[in-house]
Amino acid sequence: MKLNIEGLLVYFPYDYIYPEQYSYMLELKRTLDAKGHGVLEMPSGTGKTISLLSLIVAYQRAFPLDVTKLIYCSRTVPEIEKVVEELRKLMEFYAKETGERNNFLALALSSRKNLCIHPEILHANIVVYSYHYLLDPKIADLVSKELAKKSVVVFDEAHNIDNVCIDSMSVNITRRTLDRCQNNVDTLQNTIQKIKETDAAKLREEYRRLVEGLKEANVARETDIYLSNPVLPDEILKEAVPGTIRTAEHFVGFLRRFLEYLKSRLRVHHVVQESAPQFLKDIFDKVCIDRKPLRFCAERLQSLLRTLEIADIADFSAVTLISNFATLVSTYSQGFTIIIEPFEDRTPTIANPVLHFSCMDPSIAIKPVFQRFQSVIITSGTLSPLDIYPRILDFRPVTMASFTMTLNTFNVCLCLVALSSKFETREDFAVIRNYGNLLLEMSAVVPDGIVAFFTSYVYMENIVASWYEQGILENIQRNKLIFIETQDAAETSMALEKYQEACENGRGAILLSVARGKVSEGIDFVHHFGRAVIMFGVPYVYTQSRILKARLEYLRDQFQIRENDFLTFDAMRHAAQCVGRAIRGKTDYGLMIFADKRYARADKRGKLPRWIQEHINDGSLNLTVDETVQLSKHFLRQMAQPFRQEDQLGLSLLTLEQLESEEMLQKITQIAHQT
Amino acid sequence: MASLSEEVLLVVKKVRQRKQDGTLYLMAERVAWGPEGKDRFTVSHLYADIRCQKISPDGKAKIQLQLVLHTGESTTFHFANESSALKDRDATKELLQQLLPKFKKKANKELEEKNRMLQEDPVLFQLYKDLVVSQVISAEEFWANRLGGINNTDPAVVNNKQEVGISGAFLADIRPQTDGCNGLRYNLTADIIESIFRTYPAVKQKYSENVPHNLTEKEFWTRFFQSHYFHRDRINTGTQDIFSECAKQDEKGLKSLVIQGVKNPLVDLLSLEDKTLDEGYGICTTLPSTSNANKTVKESSNSAIIKRFNHHSAMVLAAGSRKGEAPTDQASETSSTDGNSRDSDFFQPPVKKVKLQEAIEYEDLQRENRPKTVALNLKKSDRYAHGPVPLQSQHYTTSQDIINSVNYIRHEMMNYKPNLTEVRFYTAFLMITKSHNYQKETINRSEILHCIAVFLSCVVLVER
Repeated sequence: MKLNIEGLLVYFPYDYIYPEQYSYMLELKRTLDAKGHGVLEMPSGTGKTISLLSLIVAYQRAFPLDVTKLIYCSRTVPEIEKVVEELRKLMEFYAKETGERNNFLALALSSRKNLCIHPEILHANIVVYSYHYLLDPKIADLVSKELAKKSVVVFDEAHNIDNVCIDSMSVNITRRTLDRCQNNVDTLQNTIQKIKETDAAKLREEYRRLVEGLKEANVARETDIYLSNPVLPDEILKEAVPGTIRTAEHFVGFLRRFLEYLKSRLRVHHVVQESAPQFLKDIFDKVCIDRKPLRFCAERLQSLLRTLEIADIADFSAVTLISNFATLVSTYSQGFTIIIEPFEDRTPTIANPVLHFSCMDPSIAIKPVFQRFQSVIITSGTLSPLDIYPRILDFRPVTMASFTMTLNTFNVCLCLVALSSKFETREDFAVIRNYGNLLLEMSAVVPDGIVAFFTSYVYMENIVASWYEQGILENIQRNKLIFIETQDAAETSMALEKYQEACENGRGAILLSVARGKVSEGIDFVHHFGRAVIMFGVPYVYTQSRILKARLEYLRDQFQIRENDFLTFDAMRHAAQCVGRAIRGKTDYGLMIFADKRYARADKRGKLPRWIQEHINDGSLNLTVDETVQLSKHFLRQMAQPFRQEDQLGLSLLTLEQLESEEMLQKITQIAHQT
Repeated sequence: MASLSEEVLLVVKKVRQRKQDGTLYLMAERVAWGPEGKDRFTVSHLYADIRCQKISPDGKAKIQLQLVLHTGESTTFHFANESSALKDRDATKELLQQLLPKFKKKANKELEEKNRMLQEDPVLFQLYKDLVVSQVISAEEFWANRLGGINNTDPAVVNNKQEVGISGAFLADIRPQTDGCNGLRYNLTADIIESIFRTYPAVKQKYSENVPHNLTEKEFWTRFFQSHYFHRDRINTGTQDIFSECAKQDEKGLKSLVIQGVKNPLVDLLSLEDKTLDEGYGICTTLPSTSNANKTVKESSNSAIIKRFNHHSAMVLAAGSRKGEAPTDQASETSSTDGNSRDSDFFQPPVKKVKLQEAIEYEDLQRENRPKTVALNLKKSDRYAHGPVPLQSQHYTTSQDIINSVNYIRHEMMNYKPNLTEVRFYTAFLMITKSHNYQKETINRSEILHCIAVFLSCVVLVER
């Protein structure tokens, strides 16, 4: 159908439309009009991707000077491929409706294996790739730095974007890293020696360039040609490379000194935690390394590697890592912490020292993106509470909206079961048995597939062992086959495929899985692959980790976000991700069971996305196992009736005429829940 | 003698039946007993008629063997030869054990099927009484129509009859009981043994290698239940038993399956992420290292249990779909059905394309190509949802099955040549529905399916 969205002609490649899709497009258009950033939450299965693509493509066609490019970032390879598939569908629709082959060039980078050459990116109208191409400075510098300012950037499935940002800026250094680095430095020295004998002019030329400084890059940044690189701070662009590291030999010598210092730091017997300024002071006191040359380290190494014409950069990953660390630690006095642990907590007798240089501020990595591009859209099915993302990513959105799934009848049955799994009681025999009974009872009433999530892998292992001893698993096997996620991805993939096979052939199966695991983040359980999801416990992150503690402190001091608020927010977004795995559309239905009484508390409930909260009512709170079974039976029998389009039309599914009626337009404007 | 030409497999003398001495004959197709000095059999059972055999417990004074027939009758033989009674009985038992299953499948299924149909279906039973008992047609003719009716309805059923799968919990059904003197007693039935063999072909192989040459059957199973193989949560401490090889084979099979990878790219966790961070970058999550060295005994026992469950489920699933073929085919099966090379990145494999398209499809947003479905007209939906029929988890019929059945009937009706019988056709259906009193509000799925089945059988009758 062809839609008119506030005067913009939008081609939408379906016969019907969901009201929330229209509403979503409306908000999106307003964001683009304002040339600002937006945060939009809409549950999966409501056709978010096609709405995004339809509107932005239409916008690009209508205002080719205002929006030149769409950069669509998603998290997993299958997600990226789905986007491409939807785009193909849209393009076919355009071709059919307008009768002309459009001249849109879309480009997908679905795997680093077939990494493309960047000129093509520059010419494409639409680029689809993974987050890392934009957020990881090492790759962004290669792939994305010349993307036009007038681009719209979409981060889909963005509920974990803060973690991606943090990951891309954090460094871990072990003894192995340092050993490999030592080898790298030796190789560099030999290569320099060789070149000096054969082609000394090359090194002199490099020296000359370095005296000139990084002027070129500075010009580029000032004239706004490039996406800036957070590992290349503004200040150093204005200065020449310091004399102490300007010649190749001096630089290698400098690296050696730095390396020796790091080695000495790893020889600790107790845990050390310090800030970046403390680290800089210590390195100056001990080996007289100044802050300034450290800041140039990454750039100086790149220059050297180019000069030496080293083909396989991957061999030099260790020295690159160390020099990136040097630059980061000397550039950012805030937002990072250094933790040196002499051994793993679990194995205090085995020395395995690690230096963690952890980024605690996700806004550092994403800042260049917000600064450069005119519109950045953060969207996902789970972004609640919406206001937390602008705070932790440090940006000002022009739109923030949450949409819910309009339905004529509820296709979700939500049960909050009053079981406890508080950390203190969760090893309790009775708690484990109650969990087991719940699963056993559900395995008898739910057809086809059930997915159950646990809060951590170790916890799941223990529960499975107890259930095995108590004979619960045996009884479950009478109803369904059991498959369990393991820490081996290949093994789990196979278990997943077998699980689907068992759901497909009617035998039915249960998948035991882990929140925050790969399954919970990337696998959908549509229709009969997931008729019920059970979340055992609240998936809090492991709070004893020093890195997490440091991050929580930082959040409290810098963003005034209370520790508990953040932990609960983080637990709820993962819980929502888990239960959301099973509902992937309006024709889908399923049970969502939160098996922990803490979910009933206002501070937890309030942090769940709107499309989940809506299903919570007095009848679904504080249930016993028996009540849950009764509710489920009733719900499943109702749902077993065919889904009929006629019932949906006019309510949760609209024709063009219905959409254009005055009354409906009124209604639709209320769908978006503004914050 | 009735049939001297029959091949006699075993002759056992001094076997008493109803306090009469006599001789027991095991022949190719039947077991027979004749009293001493007479040249005819007073007892003769076809193997196909025998449901099972039972033996008297060891240590009892009388050494007996009982045959239970499908009809429920039983015949007991008492082995009375003082010197070799036990040996005689065991020889008979073992031979029967080999013979019975061969006949069991064929005959049993048919008989049981007929029985079940008559029991479950009052209309059919009435028909049977009207037609067969009143001698309008013979029983064979009746069943020929009836069974043919099933087969005709679905060509797929004729071509590959679906085998009965294996219960995922068959191992749980072997409950050990204490025998009162520090021992455990496992009760094995032929079904359970078959389940074990089908699910774990490696055990079957061990069985055929060792029984009866090296071990008796009893010894074999005793060792099985004592083995680390059976108690997989115990870590193999290095003791060698005949099953340690099975464990190794399983491990190997599992590994080769894992290496082959999965067909559906959407569940392939290995290729989920485009880029994992380079080594050394990222927040180091404090995941326990997976190397075995650091694991406590409890942890490796736990992961052994998890592995075992995944393996068991996969094997049960595979046994269900194997259809009696050699189990080793599994590997080639998975690799060949794919039919496309994974190496080429330029060429999107069809499986992937289909899966992707499935994943992005919004069927309700499209106007066309939706199968018409028929909803139940529920007058009192509460009664539909709450009872009174207890939910039977084992015989769950999905709504898709019903829709398919209804679609099938619709299709059948559309293609039906309009002739006079058509009138009867409809009437028949109406009559069936009426006779089943489907005006009542509560209809459960099995009733609907049942109604359809009766209807189809009548269609065939009318056609003839």
